[in-house]
Amino acid sequence: MNGKEKKKIHMSGWDWAFVICNTIFLVLFCIVTLYPVLNTLAYSFNDGLDAVKGGIHLLPRKFATDAYKTVFNKQGIRQGAIVTVARTALGSILALIVNALLAFIVSRKRFMFRSSLSLFWVITMYANGGMIPVLLLLKNLGLTNSFWVYIVPGLVSAFNILVLRTYMESLPDSYEESAQLDGAGYMRIFVSIISPLCKPVYATVLLFVAVGHWNSWFDAMLYNRNKPEYTTLQYELQKLLSSVMQQSGSADSAGKTSTSAQVTPVTVRSAATIATMLPIICLYPMLQRYFVTGLTIGGVKE
Amino acid sequence: MKSKKIFALTMACMMGIGAFAGCAKKKDAITNFTMFACMPGKEINDGNKIQEEIAKLTGVRVKESWLTGQTAAEAVGSIVAGGDLPDFIDGGDGSDALYEAGCLVAWDDYLAKPEYSNLKELYTDKEWELFRKADGKIYWANVFNNTYGESKATGHNDEAFWIQVRVLEWANYPKIETLDEYFDLLERYYAENKENADGTKIIPYTCLCEDWRYFCIENAPQFLDGYPNDGSVIVNLTDYDKPTIVDYNTTPTAKKYFAKLNEVYNKGLMDPDFAIQTYDEYMAKLSSGAILGMCDQWWDFAFTVNPNLQASGYDLLGYNYVPLGLTIEKGMTNHWHTYGDTLNSASGCAVTTSCKDPDKAFTFLNRILEQDILNLRFWGIEGEDYLVDENGLFYRTQEMRDNWADSAFTASHVCSYSYMPQWGGTSRDGKNAMSPGEQTSEFFATLADPLVKCFEAYGYTTYGDFLGSPVEEMGFWFPMYSYSNNMSTNTDGGVAWTKMGECKHQWLPTVVMAADFDSAWNDYMDAYKACKPEDFLAEMQTELDRRVELGKSA
Amino acid sequence: MSLKDSKTPALKKLSDKAEVKRQSVLLIIAAIYVIYGIVFYYLPLVGWLMAFQTYKIKDGLFGSEFVGLKWFKFLFSDATFVRVVRNTLAMGVLNLVSQTVTAIAFAILLSEVRNVLGKKLVQTISYLPHFLSWIVVTSIVHEAFSTSGIINEVLVNLHILSKPISFFSHTQYFWPIVAISNVWKETGWNAIIYLATISSIDPALYEAAAMDGAGRWQKIKHITLPGLRSTIIILLIMNIGNVINAGFEVQYLLGNGLLQSVSQTIDIYVLNYGVGKMNYSIGTAAGLFKTFVSMTLIFLFNFIAKKTGDERLF
Repeated sequence: MNGKEKKKIHMSGWDWAFVICNTIFLVLFCIVTLYPVLNTLAYSFNDGLDAVKGGIHLLPRKFATDAYKTVFNKQGIRQGAIVTVARTALGSILALIVNALLAFIVSRKRFMFRSSLSLFWVITMYANGGMIPVLLLLKNLGLTNSFWVYIVPGLVSAFNILVLRTYMESLPDSYEESAQLDGAGYMRIFVSIISPLCKPVYATVLLFVAVGHWNSWFDAMLYNRNKPEYTTLQYELQKLLSSVMQQSGSADSAGKTSTSAQVTPVTVRSAATIATMLPIICLYPMLQRYFVTGLTIGGVKE
Repeated sequence: MKSKKIFALTMACMMGIGAFAGCAKKKDAITNFTMFACMPGKEINDGNKIQEEIAKLTGVRVKESWLTGQTAAEAVGSIVAGGDLPDFIDGGDGSDALYEAGCLVAWDDYLAKPEYSNLKELYTDKEWELFRKADGKIYWANVFNNTYGESKATGHNDEAFWIQVRVLEWANYPKIETLDEYFDLLERYYAENKENADGTKIIPYTCLCEDWRYFCIENAPQFLDGYPNDGSVIVNLTDYDKPTIVDYNTTPTAKKYFAKLNEVYNKGLMDPDFAIQTYDEYMAKLSSGAILGMCDQWWDFAFTVNPNLQASGYDLLGYNYVPLGLTIEKGMTNHWHTYGDTLNSASGCAVTTSCKDPDKAFTFLNRILEQDILNLRFWGIEGEDYLVDENGLFYRTQEMRDNWADSAFTASHVCSYSYMPQWGGTSRDGKNAMSPGEQTSEFFATLADPLVKCFEAYGYTTYGDFLGSPVEEMGFWFPMYSYSNNMSTNTDGGVAWTKMGECKHQWLPTVVMAADFDSAWNDYMDAYKACKPEDFLAEMQTELDRRVELGKSA
Repeated sequence: MSLKDSKTPALKKLSDKAEVKRQSVLLIIAAIYVIYGIVFYYLPLVGWLMAFQTYKIKDGLFGSEFVGLKWFKFLFSDATFVRVVRNTLAMGVLNLVSQTVTAIAFAILLSEVRNVLGKKLVQTISYLPHFLSWIVVTSIVHEAFSTSGIINEVLVNLHILSKPISFFSHTQYFWPIVAISNVWKETGWNAIIYLATISSIDPALYEAAAMDGAGRWQKIKHITLPGLRSTIIILLIMNIGNVINAGFEVQYLLGNGLLQSVSQTIDIYVLNYGVGKMNYSIGTAAGLFKTFVSMTLIFLFNFIAKKTGDERLF
C-alpha cells in the first residue's frame, strides 16, 4: 500500500478524517503503551532506597546505576547468557523447521490423516499431566541435567503449527498444482515452493519461539538445578530477584545480616526487566523486515 | 545464509559450555557438598573468601542454592520425584514430605557418639524429642533461635504495635499500656500535627492486609489478651497440666479490638486505603515517615524502612519506630516478647540419603559449631571484618559495617552457612555476642539520636524492654504455629484452616470499614462459623495434647 | 483466504494409488511426529491418576491409595470452588473478547498507516509491554487506578466523577480492570499474527477496489476483514479453550481480601488448597476439570465452525 501511485489517487474528505483520527489514536496508544516501559526504565536508574518511596514517573529522581551493577555482577549471569543465546538460536531454528514441516503436512488438502493429526496435536495444548510425571519422564529419557532438555521437549507446539497451517492454507492451490504437474514431490513443494511464500509467518513464529526461549527459566530450575553450567539468564535473574526480595525478610532469616542497603526489589526488578527486554527488541526489527517484504511476495499473478 | 552463521555461533557456544563444564571442580582435596534450602536466599560466589577459610579448616565446601519461584512444597516435590537430592537440605514446609519419601539420614546414631557432641549440645534431650518423627528417629535440627549462654538479644524481632519515637517525645515519654491509650495518643498528636516538615500528610494508623502478611490485622487479639505468639490459636493454661486450645478470633477481646479499629477508621484516623494497599505501597508509606503507628512484625518492615529513613535523614526527625506491649485492659501481663528460644521443630537442616559420605557431612555440621568457625561465619576474619579491643570485645569500624551491607562485597567475602546449625547468644569467650547484630556496643553505634534519647528516657537498653513482657520459659508446646503452618488439606482441620483464612481475609477489613459495626460483626461471625473452625481447633487440640505428653515423658 | 475443498478447482486428479505413494514420505514423517507426541505429551497423562488418589510422594503414582472420586466430590460440593469457576470463566471470556477485538482493530489501523517509518515505530512500541513482567504491570495498574492515580484524576477533571473512586475496594470494577490490564499488555503482541496475515493479502485486491472508487472503510470491510477471517476463527477456537485459564498472576497481584469473591481463579484455588498444602491430588483434579472444560468448548466451537462452513481446527 505504500506504492507511489497511491499518492496520486484523490483522497476524499472521509479519508482525510480517517487518517487524522487514526494518527491521533495511534499516538495516544503509543503514549499509553510507552509509559509503563519508561516508568520501569526510570525506576531502574533510580537509587534503590529512594525508589521505595514511590512517586517516580518518567525520570529517575536520584540517579544511580547500582541496580544494573547488581544485575550484571551476579555470578553465573555470563554463563546464563551464553546458554540462553545458544538455546534461543538453536531452539527457535529447530522449532521453526520442525513445526513448519508438520504444518505443511496437515495443510495438504489431500493428506489422508489431516483432520485426525490436527486433533492429535490440538489435544496436547489443553491436556497436561502435571509437573511430576513430566519430570519423571524426562529423567528416564536422560534429558535432565543436560542442555537438550531445553530443546527437545517443547520442540513441537500445537499453537505454532496452527498458526503456520492457517497461513499455508490461505495460499492459493495453484502453486502446488503447477509444481505437481512438473513432477515435484511433496518435500520439494515444501522446500522450494511453500516455504519461500511463508516468510512473514515464519518470521512471526520464529519470534514467538525465540521470545519463549529467551524468557524461560523454570525448566532450568526444574531439570538442571544441580548443573550450574546449564543455567539460563532468566533463571539467574530470578534467583537474584528472590534473594533481593528476601531483604524485607521472613521470620526465619531474621538473624541474618541484612543485604545491601543500596538496591531494593523495586529497582532490581526494573533493571532486570529492561536488561532482558533489550536484546529481543533489537532482534525484532530484523524479523519485521519480513513482514514488509511479505507485502510484495503476497501478490500472486494468477 | 544468516541461519548458517547462527548455527555456527550456537555450536561455538555449546563447545564453550562443554569446556566450562570440563574445567569445573576437581583441583583440590576438599570435599564439595551441595545444600538446598526451601527459602529464598542469596547465592554466594565461588571462591568466596570466608567459605575458602572454612574449607581449609574443615576440608568441606558447601555450595548452597535457594528456593526460586516455587513454593517449598513444589520444590520438594520435584526434587524427590527427580531423585536429584543435594547432600544437605532444609525442606521448610516440605520437610515432612522429605521424611515420608525416605530421603533423609537419621541423626540418632551420630547424636549418640561423643565425636558429635557439638550437635548434641544444640538441644536438651527434651527438646530433641520434639524433632522425633513417627518412626522414632530424628531427621533434622532447626538451626534458628537457639541461644548459647546468656541471651544478648537487643532487638524485638516479633510483632508489636509500633509507634514513631517523635510521638512519644511529643507526649513526654508516657507509659502506654492499653489499646485505648495507644489510639488516644495517636489522636491527640494528630490533632496538633497534620503534616510532616516536608509537607507529607500524616496518617495516624495503617494496617497491612495483603495476602499472608495480613497477620498485621489478624492476630493482635491473642497478644492483647496477654498470650504469646502461638500464631493460630491461644493456649489456655488455667489448668497447667491440661492446657486447652482457644480460638482468638471469637473472643470478646477480638470484638473489642475490631470495634476499636472501626471507631478509629470512622474517626478518619486510619489510612483509608489500608485494606487495598500492596506491600510495596505500605513500605513506601512507612518510609516516607507519614505513618505514626501500625501493628507489624519487626522483620516485616524494619529491614527496608530503617535504612530508608536513615538515607533520607528522617531518622533524625524521630520517624523510627519502637514497640509497645499493649493489652486490652490495664494491668495485664503481656507476652509480645518471648524470652528464651522459640523452637520450631517442623523443619531444619538435614542430611539426605544421596550424600555419598554422611559421616563427613555430620562431622562438618559438628565442626562448624566450634567457636573459631562461628566467628568466621558471623563476624568474619579478624583484622579484616572486625577488631578486638583491649578488653577482648569485638567491634567494627564504620567501613567494615558498610562492607557487610554491600551485596557485592558479601557475595565474594561473607559465608555464614545460614541454614546450617548455629548459635545465637553469647560467644564461648563469655564476652562477645555470637553475631555483631547482638553486640550491645554495635547496636547502640547504629541507633539514631532520637532513638537513643527515647531509650534513655525510659531507661531501656533493648527493644525488648519496651514491651515489658515477663522473662519466662515458654511451655513445651510453644509455638503451635509450627503445626498449623504445615497442615494439609488432606484433613478436615486443614480444609477448615484454609477456609478460615479466606473468610478472615475478606471480613476483617469489611468489619473495620463498616458503618454499622455490630451488624457487620454478626455477619462475619456467621460466615466464620460456616468454615467449621471446630474441625481446625480439634486437630490443634490433639496436637497440643501430644506435645504436652511429650513434655511430661521426656 | 481459505479455499474450501468444495469451491477449489480440484488439484489435478491423480490415481489414488499414485497419491498414496506420493504421500508415503508425509506419512513417515507424520508417524515420527506422532511418536514424539505420544512420548512427550500423552505419556505424562498417567499423572491424571493422582486425581483419583490421595497422592503421597513416598508411595509414588502407582502405590498411592485410590480414593475414587473423592476429590471431585470435594471440589463440587465446595461453594468456593464453584465461585472460582465462575470468576475464571467470566474473566476468561472478558479477556478473550477484549483482546481479540483490540488486537484486530489495532492491526487494521496500523496497516492503514502509509508512513513506513511511523508504522515501524508504532509497532515496535506496541509490543514492548509484552516483555514487562506482571509484577511490574500490576504495580503500575495499581497506581493508575488508585484514589490519587491518573485515572481518577482524569475522570474528576472531566467532571465524570465528583470525587475519586476507590476502584480496588469495590467488586464490580475488578473484572474490567483485569481485562484492561491484559489489553494494555498484550494488544501489540497479539496483533503480530494479524499483521502478518494482512501483509499477505494480495495488494492487487486493494488496487482494484481503489479503481472502483472504494474508500478506506469499504476496503477494510470488504478486503482486510475477509482476509483475516480464517486467522480470526482459528485463534478464536483455540483461545476458547483457554477461557478456563483466565490466569493467575494478574488476579493474585491485583486482588486483595475485599475482592477475593471476584478475584480468585481456579489456579489460585489450586495454590491455596493444593500445592501450598501439599495436596497434589486436589490440584490434579482441578487440572483435569479444566482440561475437560477446554476440550468440551473446543469441540463445540469447532463443530459450529464446521457447520457454518468456516475454518476449523481439526
